[in-house]
Amino acid sequence: MSNRVLEVKHATMRFGGLVAVNDLNMHIDKQEIVALIGPNGAGKTTAFNMITGVYKPTSGQVLLDDRIITGMRPDRIAHAGIARTFQNIRLFKALTVLDNVMIAQHLRLGMTWVSSVLRTPKYRKTEAEMYNRAKELLEYMGLWEVRGEIASSLPYGMQRKLEIARALATKPSLLLLDEPAAGMNPAESAELTALIRGIRDQFHLTVLLIEHHMDVVMDISDRIYVLNYGGLIAEGMPAEIQSNDEVIRAYLGGDDDEA
Amino acid sequence: MAKMKKRSVILSILLLAVLVLVLFLIDGHASKYIIRITRLCAINIILALSMNLVQGFTGIFSLGHAGFMAIGAYSVALLTIPVAKKETIFMLEPLIAPLNTLTLPFGVALIIGGLLAAAVAFFIGLPCLRLRGDYLAIATLGFSEIIRILITNAQSLTNGAQGLKSIPKTADVWWCYGIALLTIVFIALLISSSHGRALKAIREDEIAAESMGISLLRHKMLSFMISAFLAAVGGGLYASYIGTIGPDVFQISRTYDILMIVVMGGMGSITGSVMAAFIVTIGQEWLRVLDGPLPFLSFWPENGVAGMRMVVFSLLLLVVILFFRNGLFGHKELTWSSIGNRLSRLAGHKPAKEVNGHE
Ligand SMILES: Nc1ncnc2c1ncn2[C@@H]1O[C@H](COP(=O)(O)OP(=O)(O)OP(=O)(O)O)[C@@H](O)[C@H]1O
Ligand SMILES: [Mg+2]
Repeated sequence: MSNRVLEVKHATMRFGGLVAVNDLNMHIDKQEIVALIGPNGAGKTTAFNMITGVYKPTSGQVLLDDRIITGMRPDRIAHAGIARTFQNIRLFKALTVLDNVMIAQHLRLGMTWVSSVLRTPKYRKTEAEMYNRAKELLEYMGLWEVRGEIASSLPYGMQRKLEIARALATKPSLLLLDEPAAGMNPAESAELTALIRGIRDQFHLTVLLIEHHMDVVMDISDRIYVLNYGGLIAEGMPAEIQSNDEVIRAYLGGDDDEA
Repeated sequence: MAKMKKRSVILSILLLAVLVLVLFLIDGHASKYIIRITRLCAINIILALSMNLVQGFTGIFSLGHAGFMAIGAYSVALLTIPVAKKETIFMLEPLIAPLNTLTLPFGVALIIGGLLAAAVAFFIGLPCLRLRGDYLAIATLGFSEIIRILITNAQSLTNGAQGLKSIPKTADVWWCYGIALLTIVFIALLISSSHGRALKAIREDEIAAESMGISLLRHKMLSFMISAFLAAVGGGLYASYIGTIGPDVFQISRTYDILMIVVMGGMGSITGSVMAAFIVTIGQEWLRVLDGPLPFLSFWPENGVAGMRMVVFSLLLLVVILFFRNGLFGHKELTWSSIGNRLSRLAGHKPAKEVNGHE
């Protein structure tokens, strides 16, 4: 078995005339933390959507553990081991914190609805296991105390953490985080950085994250990919990216390349 | 927690005993009219819960209830009317074999009707459940009309516009409430199971649910087929309750009647649907006086205004929705622990902290 978890090969996503992602090539190895950065509208979320099956790439391929997953439905891809969070938080708003995390384990239930309704011994055992795991995850995230609260009533930072807990509940091998530190202050994002590292070590995960907070990105990433106008403009270690002229230009101001 | 659970079980058994006693008294002593309304309440509970499963718990907008009811009703009629009666009913064209020589027990006929409706739901759902919500609403509405047209024209199967009469009135208080109770327990168990949580997740956010590994089509299909099954069982009971059915019984307005109960009670509340089924069923009966002459109002037309009751009833519904935007119960359920908390709060105690039903 190779060490490769994710591989994106020549992936392109077109929306009518707009090329949101153009010929993207990237790869992530086991237990790496990789960041995908770039200015607004660069195509980062679109790349996530191609990887998770929300969009089918116009051309190109996505491989998970050397298996082609291009064009698979999002729920099949979740089964295969990719979990994600959303840039504009998408919790199950009217449900409790606990239910949010329980729901994310449904894909591993492995029983028909008849066993569910009849509460067979096997079902009750699995439900108890799901509950214990939910407890473990929520305690880890510091959310166990609010398990009975309605998700939408949580403060913003907690909602972001709940999204991560929910993603972890699917037992992924690859975790995609879309701007997990958005809206957080420096202290909170420092805490989040430690948390993400902790998650990687504790759950033996591989992480791909999109982030605008450069302090978080530089601190946490093993490697960084930089997108601009849908195309990859740089790839490398944090130090290399920080001193890359093209990246600096892309961030300093859109169209002044020729200046 | 274990003690609380035990207390809930005891209270539920007590409630059940009271219910049985009340039904026993009604069945034995109340007027025929009261007994009829009592039975109709139970049938409406089944129909409302069946609709609430798709609309309230899964968030799918399906309007095919009248059609699924019709499938159940005609199944029960064709399978339970005695053979001798069938010959006199089908005057224009004889009933096709083997239905013309077949009668089955009422319970079996109900189940067959339910399975038939679930199968039809499967074939409607396969193309439509993949599409956006409003497509399903339109498709199910269309299906409902198509069923009615088929019934009107399939003379040798349904006796067309003449309808079917002499349906055995097996659906007494015990049948109606027995099945209503089974339905309540079934829906409660389904909704609180892992599969039920998945349905609610789809209602909350399809994209997130799918990204968490929930197959949208498979779970929507589950909800839609179970709902169709229950609607047909409700329709079968209804056929036995009225004794005579025809295509006109299953107009789209039947669907709206049920929708009204679900909306009033609260989309996504079992308690709400049960309560609202009683309120709407009994309310519509009481308001029947409005359709007739109202001699104490001098300006009122002498022969009354037909349909006035529905006008008033719709206004009442409007008021409910204005003041309780999510119906009487919203997503909430009345449970023994929630009643207990409310009571102890009234008594000035701090309520026991309530954390979902998992412990
Ligand atoms: N479904 C869609 N249909 C049409 N255009 C889209 C769609 N999704 C994204 N786009 C366009 O693709 C481009 C890339 O969008 P994307 O959301 O991937 O950017 P991003 O890098 O995540 O930006 P941000 O940092 O603002 O989140 C944008 O121009 C956007 O308008
Ligand atoms: Mg984005």
